[in-house]
Amino acid sequence: MQYDLVIVGGGPGGVAAGVYAARKKIKTLLITEDFGGQSLVSADVQNWIGMKSVSGFDLGRMLEEHLRAQEDIDIEVGDRVKEVKDQGEAFAVHTERGKTLETKYLLVVSGSRRRKLGVPGEIEYNGNGVAYCSICDAPLFKGKTVAVVGGGNAGLEAVVDLLPYASRIFLLASSTVKGDPITQAKVKADPKVEIITRAKTQEIIGGESVTGLRYLDTEANIEKKIELQGVFVEIGAEPNSEFIKGLVELNERGEITVDHKTQQSSHPRIWAAGDVSDVLYKQNNISAGDAIKAVLDLYKKISKT
Amino acid sequence: MPKVMIYSTPTCVYCKMAKQLFDANGVKYEELNVAEDEKAYEEMKRKSRQSGVPVIDIDGEIFVGFDRRGLLSALKIPG
Repeated sequence: MQYDLVIVGGGPGGVAAGVYAARKKIKTLLITEDFGGQSLVSADVQNWIGMKSVSGFDLGRMLEEHLRAQEDIDIEVGDRVKEVKDQGEAFAVHTERGKTLETKYLLVVSGSRRRKLGVPGEIEYNGNGVAYCSICDAPLFKGKTVAVVGGGNAGLEAVVDLLPYASRIFLLASSTVKGDPITQAKVKADPKVEIITRAKTQEIIGGESVTGLRYLDTEANIEKKIELQGVFVEIGAEPNSEFIKGLVELNERGEITVDHKTQQSSHPRIWAAGDVSDVLYKQNNISAGDAIKAVLDLYKKISKT
Repeated sequence: MPKVMIYSTPTCVYCKMAKQLFDANGVKYEELNVAEDEKAYEEMKRKSRQSGVPVIDIDGEIFVGFDRRGLLSALKIPG
């Protein structure tokens, strides 16, 4: 079966695009591993417009429900795109489960994933003290000393997830602490939390599980060590753009460069939106809006041809 | 029916997703809250050689994290 449009991704961008494409009766397939995007693991999303407060899990379910309420769309869950080949008139989209989809146009809303620290001990102790999902694993650090590496919003939120459980929390920021002033104030007010700025993590050490972390105080240029049982890594994200590399122009961070008026990439039949694109602000609401913009623009193009 | 156990914490999203997948496919499972149950936590660590949740045991096959395809295939459910 040949589609007019394949949407790659099931976050707020992908789902918004899916709803609009279905309503425009564009022959569309949406492919995603899961619904909800990176907010899936957020305890509480308070800035999704129209909702005072919603958990990431419920947001994902609401998005899925809204998409499934559309009649004219095919949905493929639990699979991801491995490679895309341009055949001139159409693309062949190869998935990890070995399916091949044909489509004239592509909308890439594949988001981004957690960046790793890349220091010794990180891989060795992954799951044995090193963790990437604070909301999942925080209850397992009851009474323990932990560090959160990353001074942005994600780092602050991880500290908030850990507050009810850990006995002591170090927040390590490579420069200063950034992120929402409201969350910053909450974190700074708690005597359990110690903020260490200008700290460059160098090694995670341990025996069977994590026992400490070494970092460089980049201001004094002295190496220091903290004894702890857990390290939560929250140092930002990198775009999921590998599968489209070679077909579109990427910037130095690996993000797909787009025309911000239309969301079109450097390829005339590929659009992109959300965190995988070079959008300045990585936000759920913006991803949804930009992805809709992409569908409206490509719809204009399809109806002309 | 295979014997399915899930080691979880009350806040864990991937645990919820796994349970949702089980429920949607009529799979019965036993849930152990490792944030409260220390014996279960030790058992989970021994089985999975790590300490993050979820850990899912399907007839002795151990899954760490939420692996939809892996779980469906271990449960012999076409997905």
